[in-house]
Amino acid sequence: MTRPRIPAARLRAGVPALVVVALLAVILAKGDYRTNFFSGGGFALGALVAAIALGVVVTYRGSGVVNLAGAAVAMYAAYVYADLRTHGDLFLPPLPNPLAPIEGLVHLAGDDSFTVPHWPTSVSFGATMGFWPALVLALVFCALFGLVLHVAVFRPLRHAPVLAKVVASVGVLLFLQAVVVRRFSTTTQVVGPLPFVDKTQVDLGLFKITQEQLFVVCLVLVLAVALWALFQRSRFGLAVRAAAENEKGATVLGFSADRLAAATWVLSTVVTGLLGIFVASVNSSVDPNTMPALIVPAVTAALVGGFTSFGWTTLAAFALGMQVALVTFLGANESWFPKADGLPVPGVDLLVPLVVIVAVLALRGQSLPTRGVLGPGRLPFSPTARPWALRYGGPGLAVVALIPGVFFLSPAMRDGLTNTLTGIVICLSIVVLTGFIGQISLAQTSFAGLSAYTVASLSTHHGWPFPLPILAGAAVAVVAGVLVALPALRVRGVHLAIATLAFAVAVDKVVFANSWINGGFDGATVTTPALIRSQDTDTHHVLGVTIGDGTQPNPLTLVFCLIVVVALGYLVANLRRSLTGRQMLAIRSNERAAAAAGVNVAAVKVLAFGVSAFIAGVGGAVIAYRTGNVTPDKFLYDKSLMFFAFAYLGGIASVSGAVTGGLLVGGGLGFTVLNKVFGLPDEFVLLLGGLGLVVTAVLNPEGVAGKARTDLLALRRRFRPPTPADRPTPADPPTPADRPTPMDPLTPTDTATTITEPTASATTGPSAASTPAAAAAVPTAAATPTAAATPATAATPATASISAAAAVPTAAAAPTASGSAAGTHVGGSAGATPAVAGEAR
Amino acid sequence: MTELLRTEAMSVVYGGLHAVNGLDLRVDEGRLVGLIGPNGAGKTSFIDGISGFTRTQGAIYFRGKRVDREPAHRRARLGLGRTWQSLELFEDLTVRENLQVGAERQTVGGFLLDLVRPGRHRDQSDVDWALDVLGIAHLADRMPTEISHGQRKLVGAGRTLAARPALICMDEPAAGLDTTESEQFGRRLRRIVEAGVSILLVDHDMGLVMGVCDELYVIEFGTRIAHGTPAEVVADEKVRAAYLGTKAGT
Repeated sequence: MTRPRIPAARLRAGVPALVVVALLAVILAKGDYRTNFFSGGGFALGALVAAIALGVVVTYRGSGVVNLAGAAVAMYAAYVYADLRTHGDLFLPPLPNPLAPIEGLVHLAGDDSFTVPHWPTSVSFGATMGFWPALVLALVFCALFGLVLHVAVFRPLRHAPVLAKVVASVGVLLFLQAVVVRRFSTTTQVVGPLPFVDKTQVDLGLFKITQEQLFVVCLVLVLAVALWALFQRSRFGLAVRAAAENEKGATVLGFSADRLAAATWVLSTVVTGLLGIFVASVNSSVDPNTMPALIVPAVTAALVGGFTSFGWTTLAAFALGMQVALVTFLGANESWFPKADGLPVPGVDLLVPLVVIVAVLALRGQSLPTRGVLGPGRLPFSPTARPWALRYGGPGLAVVALIPGVFFLSPAMRDGLTNTLTGIVICLSIVVLTGFIGQISLAQTSFAGLSAYTVASLSTHHGWPFPLPILAGAAVAVVAGVLVALPALRVRGVHLAIATLAFAVAVDKVVFANSWINGGFDGATVTTPALIRSQDTDTHHVLGVTIGDGTQPNPLTLVFCLIVVVALGYLVANLRRSLTGRQMLAIRSNERAAAAAGVNVAAVKVLAFGVSAFIAGVGGAVIAYRTGNVTPDKFLYDKSLMFFAFAYLGGIASVSGAVTGGLLVGGGLGFTVLNKVFGLPDEFVLLLGGLGLVVTAVLNPEGVAGKARTDLLALRRRFRPPTPADRPTPADPPTPADRPTPMDPLTPTDTATTITEPTASATTGPSAASTPAAAAAVPTAAATPTAAATPATAATPATASISAAAAVPTAAAAPTASGSAAGTHVGGSAGATPAVAGEAR
Repeated sequence: MTELLRTEAMSVVYGGLHAVNGLDLRVDEGRLVGLIGPNGAGKTSFIDGISGFTRTQGAIYFRGKRVDREPAHRRARLGLGRTWQSLELFEDLTVRENLQVGAERQTVGGFLLDLVRPGRHRDQSDVDWALDVLGIAHLADRMPTEISHGQRKLVGAGRTLAARPALICMDEPAAGLDTTESEQFGRRLRRIVEAGVSILLVDHDMGLVMGVCDELYVIEFGTRIAHGTPAEVVADEKVRAAYLGTKAGT
């Protein structure tokens, strides 16, 4: 559909174009700007960003997934290649070993010499390998990896909500990074040069560039043109475009939509991997952190290209890659460049993608989704806290944490428990934002970090007494959260994830790496009252009880964290039970309908960001007081990803999920147990987190806590006889108000309406009713946990058939929800056609 | 009669297509006004336009105030409610909570109090009234996913009704109901009107529309082709040609 060029639309397209042209003119006009912008290094970086961006576009067009792990694939491929070249080894990810726990237990018993067989860590191909075999092998590996990503991760998720896809790609990113750290540690790996080009300078008139840089640039340009031709000029491309519209479109052309998606995954991993290898060779090195972070400029470029245009994406990617050198030059040489303490502000080059993202989204986004725009799909069910949980569960858990924490746990376990408590706080902030209102933020530790540095500064340099800096820190976080919320008003789903990720990466450099703020090499000291100082080893005698055993960490630090966790836990539980919580969940399920019901969607979103950032800010302040020294590493963007992973793993939509997530976080109690008892090394946190995140996204989107709840409800239903209060009478009798109208009985109406539903529901109804066992199975299988929560089984077969039939269309609409309870992908396929859903059951 | 809603030369344009083209329409207090037309006549676009979900040209007055630049939620709070053709319930909330979202208005103080005392007593009379009028009080604690399609439609209407609007625009509320059900639904509509809520009803069910409406507008290709009482409209030649003639088979 072509849009009319109304003046506003012209302005929207014209202003950014003018800005870009003006910037280019300035760069071209000034000689030293030009040489720095068109530098060889800039071109090489731009080429890599472009390749990653092209991969992102290819997968998006093929399968609708914005692959945040794209850049990590490039890094991984470079490592595979480098290892093959130097050692002739193909390294393997750590494989699950069912015997490992036995070994752990024996070691625990004291026999450290006992070992069980382990999986190999690598496959050796003899000595060092030549360029071509290594390249081919690495690319075959990339292709296989792309295939695995499709088959094991993203195919099961193809009808899942956007959140599940984002989560899965974050999981893949964490996993790849963790494998590399596990095998090679975080140090830089040397990569040999390419054999057929060298570092000879080539003079191209406007600028000079080395042979190898010129080679990768040309390669990317060729690839971009080839991809464009493939998608626009071939039958394959036509089928992919048709499949993007609907799956049947591709089938009509004689292609399987599934195979098309697989092909695009393979294509994207190979393209990304190829350039990852070449650019690592040009740069002579690769490390596990630099390349994965390039996903931000790459996704920015893909966004500029609307996730479809290869040309615009490539151009934008080159520009974003090349501006880095220019910005560094400006920082060093221009007096107008923003300075902090006499030094140029670091990370301004990372602000550029953020600005571009915000501008693109502001121009393209819509404040309310229009008719026909699909919603984000169902998110995990968000239960209201039960009265018993509020009255006894919360205090009970607090006591369970308090008593061992203060009196019995070893120092290491005490430390783990404290990490768990601070982790719970960050997870709670994610529960509010993602669980309640459905907004994805990958910048939660940035909010926490901003707060932590505020606390450090106020407590040490301005002498604010103890609790006050917490509030000030939280206030700073709230301001940041509200600022991030502004783009969120016009975008949703994966676009918001991208914007927040870009924000997090920018804050990492601009704020946390800024020596003016971070206190330089020693970090920023936090002046902590002695009573809760972690390093304090005094013992305290209260009412005849001795607290503290003369070792670090101070148990009272734990008590301080626990108080904050309990307070914030109740705050979040209360929020869910309140009108605001209902409004948030209303927005989560349907923004348009919420607005029609009089909910100010924009205001509630800003409020949710504010509350979430407040909680994260308090979390950051607690972390600051708890450690007594703020260092950037605790708040970098990868920590945000990690916390997001564990919050999702635990259960994104409830306080209990946040508590479970807190138990799982790196350094937390669960991990400390694995570490101390089973000797699991540190790197496994990320590995398990990434893997667990993928598995959770695919198999169990409700998270650990959500799964436990549905299982518990199913169990309880099985053992409890139907109580009179539970039994809905078959006819759903009309209320007294309805009696005067005799033609009001609802049941015939309902049955008639359900039969007009797709045939699946009509057929499922009777079949479910025919055997009690089937009837019992249906609510669980169809099962949104909400369906499971009601005693449908306890009712007579007639009612069961009605509710079962009613549940089927829902299951079709929300495949992940059904997949979770069924524990299989049946629900996933059910989403495609309601008819299949009927047959599957 | 007091005027409630009036549109003046209202248009909705998608791309080059005029879904609604200079439509004048007026709803008075206490009236049940029908809006009918063939498929694609612009009925849903018209409702989207007056309730603030699509950009419009021309003027919209509601309770004497010009509202065509107001955002959707503010129009809802002014008392201009709407229901949806495709239900669009809040699937994660119980039926009662669905209605509460429609009925309750948040304030800053209320939000802060919520964080401390979320369970405090709130006035539920509007919610109870809406549940009662629609005969769905017994479903209050169920989830929308567990009830039948017909009941879900009533919940959708109830959510709008619980806000005690002055006018409800109903988008095909009777789609999928058979003759007896739609008669029963018609009686419920009259009860709502008697309770002081005006209704703008968009539907395909000619029996229902002719039976319950006080007056009718007929539109085709986004423009009005007839207006009057049901009897007058039925007698109109243009309507017979454009709408009833083609729809006679259904």
